[in-house]
Amino acid sequence: MVPVIAWLLLGSVAAFSADAPRKAFPYAYDQHDFPNGLRLISIPTDYPNVVALFIVVQAGSRNEVEPGRSGFAHLFEHMMFRGTPAFPTAKYENTLKLAGAASNAYTSDDHTAYHTTFSKEDLETILRMEADRFQNLAYSPEAFKTETQAVLGEYNKNSANPVSKLHEVLRDTAFDRHTYKHTTMGFLKDIQDMPNQYDYSRLFFERYYRPEYTTIVVAGDIAPATVRALVEKYWGAWKPGSYRPQIPAEPAQQGARKNQIAWPTQTLPWLVVAFHSPAYSDEEKDQAALDLISYLGFSENSDLYQKLVIQEQKVDALEASNPDRVDPYLFTVMTRLKKADDIDAVREDFLKTLAEFQSSPVSLERLDQVKRHLRYSFALGLNNSEAIAGTVARFVALRRTPETINRLYEVYDRVTPEDIQRVARKYFGEDSRTIVTLTGGQAQ
Amino acid sequence: MKTAWIPTLLVMGSGLWAAAGPKVVALPSQSPLVTFRFVFLTGSASDPANKPGAAALTAAMLAEGGTREMTYKQIVDAMFPMATSVSQQVDKEMIAFSGTTHVDNLQAFYKIFRAMLLDPGWRQDDFKRLRDDAVNYLRVSLRGNNDEELGKEVLYNQIYAGHPYGHENAGAISALEKMTIADLQAFYRAQFTQSNLIIGLAGGYPEAFLDQVKADFSKLPAGPPAAIGLPAPKPVRGIRMTLVEKNTRSVAYSIGFPIDVKRGDPDYPALLVAQSYLGQHRLSGGRLYERLRQARGLNYGDYAYIEYFPRGMFQFEPDPNLARRQQIFQIWIRPVEPPTAHFALRLALYEFDKFVKEGLSEEAFQRMRTFLTKYVNLLTKTKRAELGYAIDSQYYGIPDYNSYLKNSLAKLTREDVNRAIRKHLGAPGLDIVVVAKNCEELKKKFLDGAPSPMTYNSPKPPEVLEEDKVVERWKIDLQPDAVRILPVEKVFE
Repeated sequence: MVPVIAWLLLGSVAAFSADAPRKAFPYAYDQHDFPNGLRLISIPTDYPNVVALFIVVQAGSRNEVEPGRSGFAHLFEHMMFRGTPAFPTAKYENTLKLAGAASNAYTSDDHTAYHTTFSKEDLETILRMEADRFQNLAYSPEAFKTETQAVLGEYNKNSANPVSKLHEVLRDTAFDRHTYKHTTMGFLKDIQDMPNQYDYSRLFFERYYRPEYTTIVVAGDIAPATVRALVEKYWGAWKPGSYRPQIPAEPAQQGARKNQIAWPTQTLPWLVVAFHSPAYSDEEKDQAALDLISYLGFSENSDLYQKLVIQEQKVDALEASNPDRVDPYLFTVMTRLKKADDIDAVREDFLKTLAEFQSSPVSLERLDQVKRHLRYSFALGLNNSEAIAGTVARFVALRRTPETINRLYEVYDRVTPEDIQRVARKYFGEDSRTIVTLTGGQAQ
Repeated sequence: MKTAWIPTLLVMGSGLWAAAGPKVVALPSQSPLVTFRFVFLTGSASDPANKPGAAALTAAMLAEGGTREMTYKQIVDAMFPMATSVSQQVDKEMIAFSGTTHVDNLQAFYKIFRAMLLDPGWRQDDFKRLRDDAVNYLRVSLRGNNDEELGKEVLYNQIYAGHPYGHENAGAISALEKMTIADLQAFYRAQFTQSNLIIGLAGGYPEAFLDQVKADFSKLPAGPPAAIGLPAPKPVRGIRMTLVEKNTRSVAYSIGFPIDVKRGDPDYPALLVAQSYLGQHRLSGGRLYERLRQARGLNYGDYAYIEYFPRGMFQFEPDPNLARRQQIFQIWIRPVEPPTAHFALRLALYEFDKFVKEGLSEEAFQRMRTFLTKYVNLLTKTKRAELGYAIDSQYYGIPDYNSYLKNSLAKLTREDVNRAIRKHLGAPGLDIVVVAKNCEELKKKFLDGAPSPMTYNSPKPPEVLEEDKVVERWKIDLQPDAVRILPVEKVFE
């Protein structure tokens, strides 16, 4: 097995010029579909002794279609640690400890991932135990109610940070119908009502914790044939389901929107400018072009960053973001200002920067520089088995195969300065814009 | 951009060695990546008395400012296509500068990195920006937006009051506002010396390259090592408490006291097993986690530490190069709902008391020893971490961390662990920091000592309810003159 970095970076920087053939995700992998719909992706790496397992369920807060049930995908992630008849919580925890394992989980808009990193000799034990909880999870109404309080505790620890609130209000303002209207944590009122929703939690499990929604990613010191046999043995009898959610489509936004948050304590002001953006695609150029614009316009060496952060020093943090989502989401530019008096001027700077992408094409040299940066950053991030499996997990949530990474980077390569201009004109219209500001007790 | 945005946090170093010239830790390999770690054995403990923050701001000027030849913009522009950068971390006794590059870009990257450390630009506009960042880190990021990290840092300040460790690494706001470039230049000249430097290099660099780096950094002044005296922190009897008054939703606790054990000391492996049992960072299954969160749903998590571990809410493994000569034992209780705050603190103290008195069972000892013997592989899963740990091992005078720990654990017995717990953790007193609103009311409750019964939203097993009867009356040994309320606006001023 050739290590990722070795493959990718064999040549000089010039290896990243637009016409050199290469794959962004350079690892050979084994992708296998079982008859019940479960998919397994095994990625041998040359990092010794350690194995990283990510189990990805393609259900996240996007799937929370019923009113009053926001935050349920995340709550369910918590419930998955509440044991089975064969592995009650204490036995589950002991088994993890004996494997020297680091285990955790996270929930996002589109997926929920359960991840465990451990020593290679414990592969069978871990796969068997995980198969058991995905098929035989059993928790009491009492345990359910207790866990809902831990979720409230998680909301509480997040609540000291204004950025959490900023995202909450941005989504609520920019979306009317789609479930991206709420964050993964969910609305506070729904979190507070969770203790009363035991039956719904079982329904959620019945619907989504099924093989056709699940992909197992295993990276590290492994032999794919062994992994496949173990997964067949422990996961092969898992029964598929039939539920398909109807996610409401978001109608086109008709007119600019604004919102303002009064933060109760001392903070610096925040400003976020957002536009509706297309869904993730590894074929169409629009989403990839918006990714590139986020770097061209707002990364550390962009003109605007240099002006606002380094020269004028009006803001101390600036970032544009164009997240990959299953459905259309938001392109955002977000900043923390030093003075509320500068909010209007900085907002105008943002809009002017975006308008410049509409009025004239970017230089080919600058575009190539950003493409190289993206390739290097991606490669430098894959520096251990856990990072490799974790990266694949994010993409699996979108297209269920690592191949989508290679296709995405091929799309980046195809984006031209003219594409950048076309995409800026298409998406940065005033009618699809939402601006949210947050100000609070001023810093003394 | 695709990467998650973690706001830049200032993190913050004292010499141990008399030998002249930079030390070198080299981990050559076939990897096409080259990782640098330049670690200076100095830090915020060496800040001049009236200039807290000098070390941190000096490090920021080097890593996030221009060189004599290049502006910061030119540096950023040059590094952008290589997708690399220089980062800095400042602690009490170490300042670490790190960066990773592909070997093809080695000379281009190193040339800039070297100039940043050896030939800084000291520009006024960089200084103004970075001083603003430091003030805003303290005032807004820490004080305003992160109750848990705030509580932990206040705990350290309280335990080490009047001690070289007694201020936040980023400094104090009033001192930062008076700081000048000349102050930083003076700190740089005095502390950034050959004898304070460990050069760490890992990856597929050419053999001659290491000699080049050594020769370049031998241009630093030889200088004496920055040996500063560290008195023992003043002992506390009973409980000493600071309540930080803040308009916040929930109540965050940090609890701790100094310990006389650091990496390399005979009882370190035993205390590490004890810590993992009580509350391995951000993993389920620790005793505190099990009793507070799993059994009772009081909060999101509860953990224990024997070494400084900043930024725990953002990461699962600790950063290397935070080595210190003195450490504290710490318990982190994540935010709880105000009505359960009194009970939660009692339960944490009850569990800690039980832990000290009873220690670990043979089964628990065996389980946690096996856990740590394997888990140590995860701590050094990247070259960057492996190099950082190797530098720390040099600092502490131990073999590589994995071998050190595995060999020590193999010889350890349950009795070693329980003896170490009684010896080092049975302290006569401890410090508690609370971040909450309505602190007067909380203070009154703590001092009154009235029962604080729990009500649950679901039936609980009889053993939990029986235990609650003891916990709800658990005595918090707090005297009126050992508790103070500190408005958040006064913290780090």
